[in-house]
Amino acid sequence: MAGFEGFEKRLELNFSGDDPAAVAEGQDLGLRRLSFESLEKVLRAVQCTVVSAVANHYFDAYVLSESSLFVYPTKIIIKTCGTTQLLKSIRPLLSYAAEMGLILCGCRYTRGSFIFPNSQPYPHTSFRDEVNYLESKLPNTLIYRKATVMDSTDSDHHQWHVFTASDGTHFMSDEFYTVEVCMTELDPVLAGKFFRRLNCKYSGDIDGKEMTEITGIGDIIPNAIICDYGFDPCGYSMNGVDVDRYSTIHVTPEEGFSYASFEMVGPGFDGLGEVLKKVAKVFRPGTLSVATTSAGREVWTRVKSALEPTGLKCRSVAADEFPAVGSVVFQTFTTRRN
Amino acid sequence: MAGEGQVISCHTLDAWDDHLHKGNKSKKLMVVDFTASWCGPCRFIAPFVAELAKRLPSVTFLKVDVDELELVAKNWAVDAMPTFVFLKEGKLVDKVVGAKRDELQQTIAKHTT
Repeated sequence: MAGFEGFEKRLELNFSGDDPAAVAEGQDLGLRRLSFESLEKVLRAVQCTVVSAVANHYFDAYVLSESSLFVYPTKIIIKTCGTTQLLKSIRPLLSYAAEMGLILCGCRYTRGSFIFPNSQPYPHTSFRDEVNYLESKLPNTLIYRKATVMDSTDSDHHQWHVFTASDGTHFMSDEFYTVEVCMTELDPVLAGKFFRRLNCKYSGDIDGKEMTEITGIGDIIPNAIICDYGFDPCGYSMNGVDVDRYSTIHVTPEEGFSYASFEMVGPGFDGLGEVLKKVAKVFRPGTLSVATTSAGREVWTRVKSALEPTGLKCRSVAADEFPAVGSVVFQTFTTRRN
Repeated sequence: MAGEGQVISCHTLDAWDDHLHKGNKSKKLMVVDFTASWCGPCRFIAPFVAELAKRLPSVTFLKVDVDELELVAKNWAVDAMPTFVFLKEGKLVDKVVGAKRDELQQTIAKHTT
């Protein structure tokens, strides 16, 4: 019998507007003008709802019933877990964007390997199905497309799936990089902190706040404004907002299919190595994978030296280049006992 | 009484000072909702706040747009929206940053018992 699928699907859509100068100056809100009702319609297509949220001058961050949503003026990122049909958000999003005069110029879809692949609904039944679905929904102007499955040599044979599409006009800034971390076989005692306390009158964001404090998650990126949520009977989600960069953590703590993810946009105040060390300490996972996406920086080189002292041994490194996106490097780690 | 059961929007500095002054004199808890017209999360929680205002006439709910009253937002160190500032007799007693329904409700309960 299948348990809850922690591994997420992540979709990033980049748009360009009629007046790129206005957007660059922060005068045009672009996608942030989307009404909450429209946003709810998109999320309904994906079968999830907003649970808590926060915004600043740069973007809106939503904690969802099944993960997270980030809305920037020209970029939207949705990351959902469980059996949500994430790709079904594309058609309504493109439609709403078009109404606002925004044109899709880039798309990036990534995910790890599902623990329970047979429980996934179409189009998430296989990577081939996902890619075919994406190809059919994206406009023909996105002529540079690439789909790759990056392999690993760890015992779970965990793979990293990447699909990118671009019209060649928008290039990822070499100022930022994205890090997507997936962890399984969480330390049971540490995972236990993500269960709602019995006889607890508290709910949702109150319990989330306590989980953030007692697990040390609040210290991972100390300057971030945090939106957190503790699910019933267990589970945890958080979004961190640090100026124009987000971080997000999602936890499925049940033994047998325990999972935690950490994602951030860097560079932040602390170096990537420091951040990853703290993440590994919070969960002490049996396996951990890191996928770094960057246009220029050699961020991936810092990962191994940061994680190996924590007891995680690097088992494999795979790299690939994606048009208009840059390099994706996928590294897997397991504890020495594995 | 005017404004009871509703969220009162302050559009000018005078209105803000006026309501603050009134609130300081009464012993009522005052919840100030700092929002922005372009803030999605604010739109998400707005119905919930309106519902709370309706259910809790003993609490004064004010709404301040951070662009309209930039100075006020700056004075209260608002850098994320929505931010809920809790005032009692002129003093800041609590703060909730973000559209967090449970925390908002719990914090109100904490200061009204």
